[in-house]
Amino acid sequence: MSELWQAEKGSRLLLMGNDAIARGAMEAGVSVAAGYPGTPSSEIIENLARAAQDRNIYVEWSVNEKVALEVAAAASFAGLRSMAVMKQVGMNVAADFLLHLTQYGTRGGLVLVSCEDPGALSSTNEGESRFYTKMMEFPLLEPGDFQEAKDMAKWAFQLSEEIRNLVMLRSVTRLSHSSGNVVMGDLPQVKARARFRHQGGLLDTMGGPIINLPGTVHFLRQKQQEKLRKAAQIFDTSPFNTYTGPERPELLVITSSTCTLYSKEAVHLLGVQDRVGILKLGTTWPLPKGLIEEYLAMTDKVLIVEEVLPFMEDNVLALATTLVPRIGAKTFFGKHDGSIPTMHELNPDIVVAALCRILNVTCGTVPEAYVRRATEIAPAGAPARALTFCPGCPHRASFWSIHNALELDNRKGFVCGDIGCYSLAAGPSGFETLRTLHSMGSGTGLASGFGRQVQFGLDQPIFAVCGDSTFYHAVMPALVNAIHNKADITLIVLDNSGTAMTGFQAHPGLKVNAIGEDVPAVDIPEICAAMGAKVKICDPFDLDETRKTLLDMIEEEGVKVVVLRQICALSPEKKGAKAYKMAVNETVCLGENCGCNRLCTRIFKCPGLIWDEKKKVAMIDEVICAGCGVCASICPSGAIERKEAA
Amino acid sequence: MRAFGPMELLEDVHQKNLCVGCGACVDLCPYFRIHKGKTAMLFPCDLSQGRCYAYCPKAEVDLDALAEQSWGKAYEGDAVGRYLSVFKAQAGKAAPGGQFQAGGTVSSLIAFSLDQGIIDAAALTDREDLVPIARLVTQSQEVATCASSKYTAAPTLAALNRAVQEGYTKIGVVGTPCQVTAVAQMRANPLDQEDFFDPVALVVGLFCTWALETRGLTALLSKRLEVRKIRKMDIPPPPADILVIETEDGSIEISLAEIRPLIPHGCTVCPDMTAEWADISVGILEGDAQWNTLIVRTERGADLVEKARKSGWLVTDAMPQKNLEHLQFAAKNKKKRALTAALEADLVNSIERSCLRINTRAMERIMAGEKE
Repeated sequence: MSELWQAEKGSRLLLMGNDAIARGAMEAGVSVAAGYPGTPSSEIIENLARAAQDRNIYVEWSVNEKVALEVAAAASFAGLRSMAVMKQVGMNVAADFLLHLTQYGTRGGLVLVSCEDPGALSSTNEGESRFYTKMMEFPLLEPGDFQEAKDMAKWAFQLSEEIRNLVMLRSVTRLSHSSGNVVMGDLPQVKARARFRHQGGLLDTMGGPIINLPGTVHFLRQKQQEKLRKAAQIFDTSPFNTYTGPERPELLVITSSTCTLYSKEAVHLLGVQDRVGILKLGTTWPLPKGLIEEYLAMTDKVLIVEEVLPFMEDNVLALATTLVPRIGAKTFFGKHDGSIPTMHELNPDIVVAALCRILNVTCGTVPEAYVRRATEIAPAGAPARALTFCPGCPHRASFWSIHNALELDNRKGFVCGDIGCYSLAAGPSGFETLRTLHSMGSGTGLASGFGRQVQFGLDQPIFAVCGDSTFYHAVMPALVNAIHNKADITLIVLDNSGTAMTGFQAHPGLKVNAIGEDVPAVDIPEICAAMGAKVKICDPFDLDETRKTLLDMIEEEGVKVVVLRQICALSPEKKGAKAYKMAVNETVCLGENCGCNRLCTRIFKCPGLIWDEKKKVAMIDEVICAGCGVCASICPSGAIERKEAA
Repeated sequence: MRAFGPMELLEDVHQKNLCVGCGACVDLCPYFRIHKGKTAMLFPCDLSQGRCYAYCPKAEVDLDALAEQSWGKAYEGDAVGRYLSVFKAQAGKAAPGGQFQAGGTVSSLIAFSLDQGIIDAAALTDREDLVPIARLVTQSQEVATCASSKYTAAPTLAALNRAVQEGYTKIGVVGTPCQVTAVAQMRANPLDQEDFFDPVALVVGLFCTWALETRGLTALLSKRLEVRKIRKMDIPPPPADILVIETEDGSIEISLAEIRPLIPHGCTVCPDMTAEWADISVGILEGDAQWNTLIVRTERGADLVEKARKSGWLVTDAMPQKNLEHLQFAAKNKKKRALTAALEADLVNSIERSCLRINTRAMERIMAGEKE
């Protein structure tokens, strides 16, 4: 396969939604792209970073989503086409700047891509950022398939320049992370030149200073709403809004995004193509009012199919109310009557069920023979697997010591958790160590708050954890807060040298950036020490030293930072190399006669350690053992032996 | 004696706040550890029987079984337990000097036992600031470093567990009544192990009314003095009602009313003041700071005392009758107080699992405060 940024016009590639969005941006001649990694969004920036040199794009992993949007906005202000990329939770981080950005408007085309996670498959919530577009008055595009992901990404830049405001392109996991055929468009020769024009008057939005002031708010708001009305007009004739179905459908399904595919499949499965029409909207805010009126007029019943909250549904309902004198009252189905759930992902079955109820039809059941055969082939289904840290993961070792330090301390101390692989420490693989878990950086903020409750009798030791990337993203302000306000806490930075959970994207602690440039690494211990914290650095694989350090830090007053530094077991830097060759000495392992009660495989539970049911001793699964050597320190009998790997 | 598992130990002792941090369950396995005088269970362990439970002096202590094992008869609730003889005692001239509590009897006897090979290691209690540390000592010269009272509940038996693991076969233990009770339970082979071997060659019990919780005492004393500078602590006999702390900068008195809240709850249900299951028990001698009270309980205790006396490591003299009566009175009071508290908390002779088991006759005798 030719590279994404080299594929010729007319060629057909099997692309993930995120690949398609990146290609669309390149076809639009994007010059600057910035983002913060987060599933399911990360591949867009990664693709653009790979193309950066060939396509003369500046691509960065920014410190957080707000800064990413600011970096992209600066490019727009200088007349460049730019893109900011994030997942739904990052939208909230960017939202403060977004409010001001969209009030003033943009110059070069600026597209904000939010890849969202209905069902929270890879998130701690299923967030909904479509509402920002209504609240902050800018247009929203929602591609319904892979081709549209590319085409709409490209068109979004054009739209942004037509209305001179930011355009949001929203994807969801099933679009971003599944693949479909996409026909390539033209890759233009871009001769981008950046120049920030700021010498015009205060109200010269294309040549003056870009400033939001109380005195200009009224003027800017008027302009912003004009832009939105213009977008609505454009949307009325947009080719991304399509209708398939009979001229007078008994039921009109209005849908968008991947729900388009679910709706199409449901109608097909039930064979009700002659009764049901599907109006698929690619432009979901502002609504294409004329278009919607036209299709509402054709029917009496409407089902709105969308994921998570009733965003489109409420907007259509509000619009339909104003249309009653012209087209009459319609019966609406969707979230409000319970036809469509207000949480989780949708799928064709859910839409089938809704259609069956509304149309009073039954769907054909699965043939009994098929069910029998399916049960025979997969009797127990997929084997149950617990969520766990990878073999050799430094977090397992870190949380072993954190857990043990808090248990030893014996004052019901607790850990405020944060967002990363280490969020798993809320469960058994991290010995159920985390006791709060919210958004990025909030662990340290909460700890800062708990740390000032001594006057109300709180006498429990307080730990916060964060990863290295999270530290830069949102922990620093919370840490400053804790130090300045004399909170009594210990922050443990689990530094595994990369944004590991989302695929080792660069962050400010590394010496290389997203596009392979040499950059200065910003040192976490130095930052913390400069802020005024007591700082210690430990290797989490040294369990005794780590536990001892944590126990010492508990006794100290004020803000302490322990940096547990050990590279991620999956890091490309490690290249799968094992530091140690591990083996269980079967003559030393006491098996079930050991008072340890299978500490290694029952509690420590590294997937590389398994229990030999026949011999009743522990053994190493050499295929998956990462050779970190930590389990040798766990075994009370010294039966797990480690030798320096050759 | 009935042994259950670690989860029952957690339920019966830790959750009822009865743990006194004696160290009996510590370092036997990867689960129970001690830190700053408190025992912690690091991870759940679901074994149905464990030495942790079997040794614990706050779980299933069957006084009849212990009396049968140690004295060959039922438990009768005597104020200071069974004994062969009582003396007043102090370190002899042959004993190395050191900073003792009172007469230095314990340090002298332990050093002598190590010196003579009567024991090959001793589980003693040291302290770092106010944190009690279990110390395994194998040289008689090292004994002095562990001399003098700590008053904080100490995990001494962790050192005994360590000594067993390291293969010592003639171990001496110096412990408080709870620790001596745990040692007696260890020696009974409670899990019926086939290869069981009693590694304890000498048990020296210390008189104890109660101990203090380390973290709380540290916090309290830190307000008055520099904990690092503490040289010695002493609680003079009633009616003084004070804790005297000697520091490098002079001595400070703290009223017992102030430190009583720091007594672990587990101490309040302990019926033993004089370490009744020891070979010998030692405490202060009221009214004479230069001497100890020495209770000799077993033949091997008597042998040791005899040898030490002959070698000039120990000096003994007749115990004044009045002192013995006082001691019996105090010990009897402790028994009655503890039993009352234990009965109120439903910790005695419970059907399923009980903190303490005692026969009705002995219980009635204690509760009646019967004169001996």
